[in-house]
Amino acid sequence: MIVAEIKPFEEIKNMIKNYQKVLIVGCGSCVTVCLTGGERQVELLASALRMARKIEGNDITVGELTIRRQCDPEFIEQIKDEAAQYDVILSMACGAGVQGIAERFKDIPVLPAMNTMFLGVSDGQGTWVEVCAACGDCILWKTGGICPVARCAKGLVNGPCGGSQGGLCEVSKDVPCAWQLIYARLVRLNLQHFLKDISQQKKQPVRPRRLVREDLRLKKEPTKGV
Amino acid sequence: MSDKAIPLCQAACPINTDVPGYVSAISRGDLERAIRIIRQVNPFPSVCGRICTRPCESACRRAQIDEPIAIAALKRFASDQTKGLKVVQPPEHFYNETHMPTKVGTKENENNPPSPPFSKGGMGGFPGEKVAVVGSGPAGLTAAHDLTLLGYRVTVFEAQNILGGMLIEGIPEYRLPKDVVKEEIDYILSLGIEAKRGLSLGRDFTIEGLLKDYQAVFLAIGSQKSLLPRCNEVELTGIITAVEFLKQVSQGERPLLGKRVVIVGGGHTAIDAARTCVRLGSSEVTIIYRRTLDEMPAGKAEVEETENEGVKIRYLTAPVEFLGNGNVKKVRCIKMQLGELDESGRRRPLPIENSEFEIEADTVILAIGYIPEAETIKDSGLILGKNGTVVVKDDTGATNLKGVFAGGDVVSGPSSVIEAIASGKKAARAIHRYLRNLPDEKMEEYSAFRLLDDGIVKLISKSNMQKVSTLPIEKRINSFAEVELGYNFEQAVKEAQRCLSCGTGAVVTENCASCLNCVRICPYGVPVPGREIAEIDISQCQACGICVSECPASAINLKLETKEQVRAEMEDIINIAMKEAQEILTIGFYCQYKSPAGHPGGGNGVYWLGKLCTGRLDVFQLIYPFELGADGLVITVCPDQECHSRDGSRWLIKHIEKAREILDEIGIGANRLSIISDVEELSDFRKRLLDVGINPLRKGKKVKE
Ligand code: SF4
Ligand code: SF4
Ligand code: SF4
Ligand code: SF4
Repeated sequence: MIVAEIKPFEEIKNMIKNYQKVLIVGCGSCVTVCLTGGERQVELLASALRMARKIEGNDITVGELTIRRQCDPEFIEQIKDEAAQYDVILSMACGAGVQGIAERFKDIPVLPAMNTMFLGVSDGQGTWVEVCAACGDCILWKTGGICPVARCAKGLVNGPCGGSQGGLCEVSKDVPCAWQLIYARLVRLNLQHFLKDISQQKKQPVRPRRLVREDLRLKKEPTKGV
Repeated sequence: MSDKAIPLCQAACPINTDVPGYVSAISRGDLERAIRIIRQVNPFPSVCGRICTRPCESACRRAQIDEPIAIAALKRFASDQTKGLKVVQPPEHFYNETHMPTKVGTKENENNPPSPPFSKGGMGGFPGEKVAVVGSGPAGLTAAHDLTLLGYRVTVFEAQNILGGMLIEGIPEYRLPKDVVKEEIDYILSLGIEAKRGLSLGRDFTIEGLLKDYQAVFLAIGSQKSLLPRCNEVELTGIITAVEFLKQVSQGERPLLGKRVVIVGGGHTAIDAARTCVRLGSSEVTIIYRRTLDEMPAGKAEVEETENEGVKIRYLTAPVEFLGNGNVKKVRCIKMQLGELDESGRRRPLPIENSEFEIEADTVILAIGYIPEAETIKDSGLILGKNGTVVVKDDTGATNLKGVFAGGDVVSGPSSVIEAIASGKKAARAIHRYLRNLPDEKMEEYSAFRLLDDGIVKLISKSNMQKVSTLPIEKRINSFAEVELGYNFEQAVKEAQRCLSCGTGAVVTENCASCLNCVRICPYGVPVPGREIAEIDISQCQACGICVSECPASAINLKLETKEQVRAEMEDIINIAMKEAQEILTIGFYCQYKSPAGHPGGGNGVYWLGKLCTGRLDVFQLIYPFELGADGLVITVCPDQECHSRDGSRWLIKHIEKAREILDEIGIGANRLSIISDVEELSDFRKRLLDVGINPLRKGKKVKE
């Protein structure tokens, strides 16, 4: 899941300062699950913005909507009539969602209310941790299911830096050393021999990446470029 | 679990009263709402609140934790306290197709009671057919009540000169004061029911004759003929039936009983007769009953009160013979033992040989059983069963005669008031369908929730039933004053707050994003990750509302109070405050569990809104009052360990922190929002608020000077 957090209120307020009609759009997928961009947060942000602007003597109209996913045009399409009535859209989705909406509604500015942070997993109620950097060339099979790209502070893929102490990363003492974890897991699995052959060159992806599944498509014409 | 499952109390009630509905209204001090919910199914709330046999309480799940909710006593409270209020509730509950959920009328239809017919769908204009109800006990009057509200013209025929049947003649004043009964009956009659008193079926009119003037007849003549024990000399002077005895007393007579009275029987009537004898001055009153306390139809509590008043009860004892010379002098009894189960499911009492003994008696009162007065209907063409009961085709009460329905004790044999009311309701429904030519229908059967899981039972803190205070024994035994005194406001609210509000909890909607936050935070561990969305077993949910305010998708609704209701309540209170407030407008949310008797006070200018656990307040609800114009918001909260919803206090504190942060960010100021623990803190808060001034959002808006 994509994990995001809400931007500081000041920043959001500043972004919309020149607009009178703002539509806040929440996303019902990842950011709802990480408790930051779903219907509840939309309601809160709307109320806060209304009040803040009123105090400044600069009333605004705030619309509130939450759609299932902002990374699919079909869902975005569903709100086009509402969107047309606003000066600006404030998206509470990850960066992908913001751009999904911007691509669809070309004449309305779309602003991010969130800072998109990482791909993560839940680590107990109200806690998420980054575990994958979406590098495009996954090596987890060799690293005991622990990703050094995302979880090593230095992103080293060919083994530890040598600076870890007591299993903790030398860069940040709160974080376990990814390579220490990898080693321990491989020993546990009796797969230490993978470590002998760890040196590797990872493909550097050419950005922006694009995934086209011809096997799942009927139409031959090129996809619309986003 | 099917959607049709309902709380155990409601399922056990013969008229499926929405118990959690009215009990929760009382727990918030809203007696008007409570009586509306009760009246929706029950035209005799004050009566049932006193003498109902309370099958609901025997089923109540609170007993898994400590003791059941005093459901009847709460009904009495709601009813007694709303006497002046003429609440007419259309009998929707039994007449709409789904029969659930309860819709409660509003203030508007109180001043302007809906004119018949209430049910617009399909019925068209005022039906106008005439229905005769024979018998004015609870079954008859309930049917009359419901039929009148459905738009029929009802006439009630009563053989006695006073209405009420057993309610008036059979149940003694100390348990059910006559004026209470009279008031309920007057109210029912005031709906527009004609009552003909002193007209007796078989003597003054016949069913056949009624059918000439009325399109349907409901027969509810009760079951008041006493059975006599098969003993020698039962006709001796001084041996009377309990029915006759209680009737005499109810009419103000004071029969001379002598010192020693023996009552034969173990039902409610036996107990009533015994306690009446005590009040008439007999000093040695003995009940003889052939089974044991466990089999006794009268409840244990009632038996205890009876013994407290000095009545002796001899179990496993049956009369064999009455001895005397003109006047009864002694009862010859035999000891019994319990054998195999009989057809009533109780162990059959068998005499023990050579165990006879005698008890001296100046009066003997027989209360062993009752059958209908079959003579009055024997020529009517109705098929009668054993003991003279009227045989009906099914639950609807239809008899073999077209247009003639029967219900109450004349069909079932002696039963309880609430069963009689249920039977009256069913008959009214059946008569309505008959007159409107509606097809037969199958009444829906509801299943009851399962019991609470042990894990949840352990998490609920114990609190015993509020005791109903009773008249001291000395005052009881020489008067007919009502023994049970009923609850005061605080007791009633406290008692109501013990209710687990079964079935009013959380429902997950399709908006669920499966974030599992609810699964992780429910203090009772009720939600589970379903295959697609989270699942909450409403039969186990404690309706604390915590998941509701933490669900990021706002996908959970609490049946107890919807989001819209909460919002509307807030808007109402703030609107009132805006109109009235002198200078600084303070809103207060108080925990009703912490302050059952009402809001904590604090003088003019504080507008309170009670919450059953302030932990239900989500962040939005804490900033919304400011958007509406409040200058300050205070909240009371229980100490952590006392929180009714386990984690409610802790969540509230989190929500307040977040709300204060937002208030600072938007420039309203965090210091306008505060927890307070007493009135002193409140007045400090208000002093500080004066310095801070009015809510900047309110600038320009007039508040009364
Ligand atoms: S190597 Fe790490 S960052 Fe790359 S895809 Fe695998 S888990 Fe993600
Ligand atoms: S706790 Fe309340 S709702 Fe539950 S069974 Fe008892 S009275 Fe009914
Ligand atoms: S908290 Fe809400 S969105 Fe999350 S699983 Fe529960 S019901 Fe679904
Ligand atoms: S309302 Fe309370 S008890 Fe019920 S599921 Fe939600 S958190 Fe659990």
